[in-house]
Amino acid sequence: MTDNFRTGNSPNFQEGGLRGFFSKNSALAFIVAGSAWFIVGTLYGLFSAIHLMAPEFFNNIPALVFGRVRPSHVNTVLYGFVVTTLIGLGMYYTPALLKTKLWSEPLGWVSLFLWNITVLSGPVFFSMGMSQGREYTEYLWPFDVTFMIAIVTIIINLVMTIIHRKEYVLYVSIWYFVASFIWIGGSYFIGNVMWRPSTGALPGILDSIFLWFYAHALPGLLLTPLAIGAAYFIIPRVTKTPLFSHTLSIVGFWTLVTFYSHIGGHHLLQAPIPHWLKTMSVVDSMMMFIPVIIVIVNLWMTMRGRGNLIMADPAAKWVAMGLIWYLIVGAQGSIQSIPQIQKVTHFNNWTVAHAHIAVLGFSGFIALGGVWHVIPLITRRKLYSQRLANLQFGLVMIGLTGFFLVLTIAGLIQGEAWYNGETVYRVLPQLQPYMILRTIFGLFIISGALVGFYNLIRSIRKPKEYPYISASHAVIIETQKNPEI
Amino acid sequence: MKMTPKIFFGGSILVWAASISIMVIFPVISMKNKPSEIWRPMTEKEKEGLKVYVNNGCSYCHSMYIRKVDWGIGAERIARPGDYYGQEPAILGSERTGPDLSQEGGEHTDDWHKAHFINPRFTRPMSVMPSWEFLGEDEIEKLTAYIQSLGGKDADLRIARQKYWHKQAIEAYKAGPDSNIRWLHSKIPDGWRKMPNPYPATEASVSRGKNMYMKFCINCHGPVGDGNGRAAPYLNPPPLNFTLLRRHLEDDKYIGGILYYQIMNGITGTSMPYFKKDLESEKIWDISNFIAKEFIGYTDSDTEPKGIDASYESEKEKE
Repeated sequence: MTDNFRTGNSPNFQEGGLRGFFSKNSALAFIVAGSAWFIVGTLYGLFSAIHLMAPEFFNNIPALVFGRVRPSHVNTVLYGFVVTTLIGLGMYYTPALLKTKLWSEPLGWVSLFLWNITVLSGPVFFSMGMSQGREYTEYLWPFDVTFMIAIVTIIINLVMTIIHRKEYVLYVSIWYFVASFIWIGGSYFIGNVMWRPSTGALPGILDSIFLWFYAHALPGLLLTPLAIGAAYFIIPRVTKTPLFSHTLSIVGFWTLVTFYSHIGGHHLLQAPIPHWLKTMSVVDSMMMFIPVIIVIVNLWMTMRGRGNLIMADPAAKWVAMGLIWYLIVGAQGSIQSIPQIQKVTHFNNWTVAHAHIAVLGFSGFIALGGVWHVIPLITRRKLYSQRLANLQFGLVMIGLTGFFLVLTIAGLIQGEAWYNGETVYRVLPQLQPYMILRTIFGLFIISGALVGFYNLIRSIRKPKEYPYISASHAVIIETQKNPEI
Repeated sequence: MKMTPKIFFGGSILVWAASISIMVIFPVISMKNKPSEIWRPMTEKEKEGLKVYVNNGCSYCHSMYIRKVDWGIGAERIARPGDYYGQEPAILGSERTGPDLSQEGGEHTDDWHKAHFINPRFTRPMSVMPSWEFLGEDEIEKLTAYIQSLGGKDADLRIARQKYWHKQAIEAYKAGPDSNIRWLHSKIPDGWRKMPNPYPATEASVSRGKNMYMKFCINCHGPVGDGNGRAAPYLNPPPLNFTLLRRHLEDDKYIGGILYYQIMNGITGTSMPYFKKDLESEKIWDISNFIAKEFIGYTDSDTEPKGIDASYESEKEKE
């Protein structure tokens, strides 16, 4: 069922050149920005890793001191690379699945601009020693405002796109994509305590409840729905099969928001907060198995018997691997919320390993897969190089797997030693080999970021016609399979 | 179920709002916000110090609460909600690359902190903390004020104790090296003063002691034990010169117990910290053996009074 559906813009570079093309493609601009932030963010990761290996390597360089590069790394990778890329993907596939254009490209550019200003403010101000300091909410207040306006403009744009849609059915990807902004908009405002601009915090221990509510809304209500939305879009398109179950997607969607918004307290199990809050967090953390398994089963069953298509596709490979990381990180997350296990795993590199497979493994892999899947659709050209996309996969895969294993081991060494009475200071020398290995594996990831950026730029610039594929494929088969929706 | 825009938007907002009410709004209403018995208001300078702490990301490596499962934290107070009253932000931290700081106030002297901020390895040779010298004296002073306030009223008591003994230590130091050592030894309980090192100063023991010395002592007491380590210029009174101890043996023969006691308990009021949380018995005795053999040139190890030899001790290796 091919139609003349287009993504709302002419890919013809002759009219208006590259700049004209971009101005009609805020989605593509988001994707390019995301890939650029990937390089910046991982470079900051390298600086952090070097610090832990050789603390006097950047001695007395204020902008490169660990306490300042660490938030630059975390925020840039999180908001800059993963979220920016995934927003770009959604800005593409939402209008595509609704068979319309994005309601307003100029508004898309406003969102893009504000969003990137926010991300840029991180390294700029943190390096000068200006930060709100609470994890994941470090951006200074003026940039909380740009963040919020960016989110609101995105929501407006998406709602108007939905109103003007030509396809009646809202495909599951659209639920996840649109909902993530509604949820994160509200959670960001509350979690950042935006009504107290000077500190962005409440006085007293209550603040930690706000902070960790937000800190888990971030992966739960932003990264996860964005990434799942992209995965639901890409997998059926590559395998050319209908989505396995509409019911499962519905259950998965509602259980995700129900359980994931309750678990922030599991970061504070050993801190002095009310017991009922801890209990609820642990219970809901265990319940998180449900939405995780549902997504895995739904997409796995969609892929069933089509593994060859997945493996042959440079984009789908990333997404499939991202889902495997999702299973690992989801299972790990639930298990490590159990208080008895947290006695050993809290406060050490175990958690750092967990965070890396969540952000880079799960959502980052799907974001990168999305880039390689969507770029040919937007530009209507082939990728500059499939081999480079595969090379990037290998580099990031080796890097992240090694990184995860090394830090998990380091975390267990720390946790077990502390639990058995060693002091933090005494355990430090034992971590050194693992910190060196971490830096080496990190270099693989940075190389991956560089290769990917090169491939992306060349793919956009290289003129080569590409046989047309309808982006609405997924929703078509969804409608065919479930005539009642 | 048909996912219409109405169901979708209405449902998404509703479920999220329900979670917020339970997980955020309800704690706001129900949590009692009262100061604990150790809480006291922060001074302006300490508040400035908290800002330095927050802005520079100290919380990425240092946690701010002691848990029930924790060992090795000096003032062992399990954190209570009221300890954080009015602190904005109460920056609890999520990582322990460095030690927990929630009760750090008064654990060390200001001098120690200054040396430590200028280069953490001056006072803790294995530390991976970055140097903060670039902050400048003013900021380091504020930061130190904040760190010394951690623990509230308990910290104030510890600081008062530090000050009390600091005064006496300074007087003793000014009176000359020999009377300084006499004063130091006079503060050690009797039983310890007349105790020889019960571990034979074997090659193994001394080399283990050297290893520990390098990881804990070297940057204050120096590579040759003369008290001229890298931290020495910042510390008042300066670190002890071990080579002077030869003429201060108790009863002309004992020094092991004195060394052990000083390493174990530190000398409050000076920058000599206690090491009993970091090191257990044999390690401290090994360091004493190393210091005795290497810097004093005399060891009382394995001399009388002693009971029956431990089964592993050989006749040959005795000095």
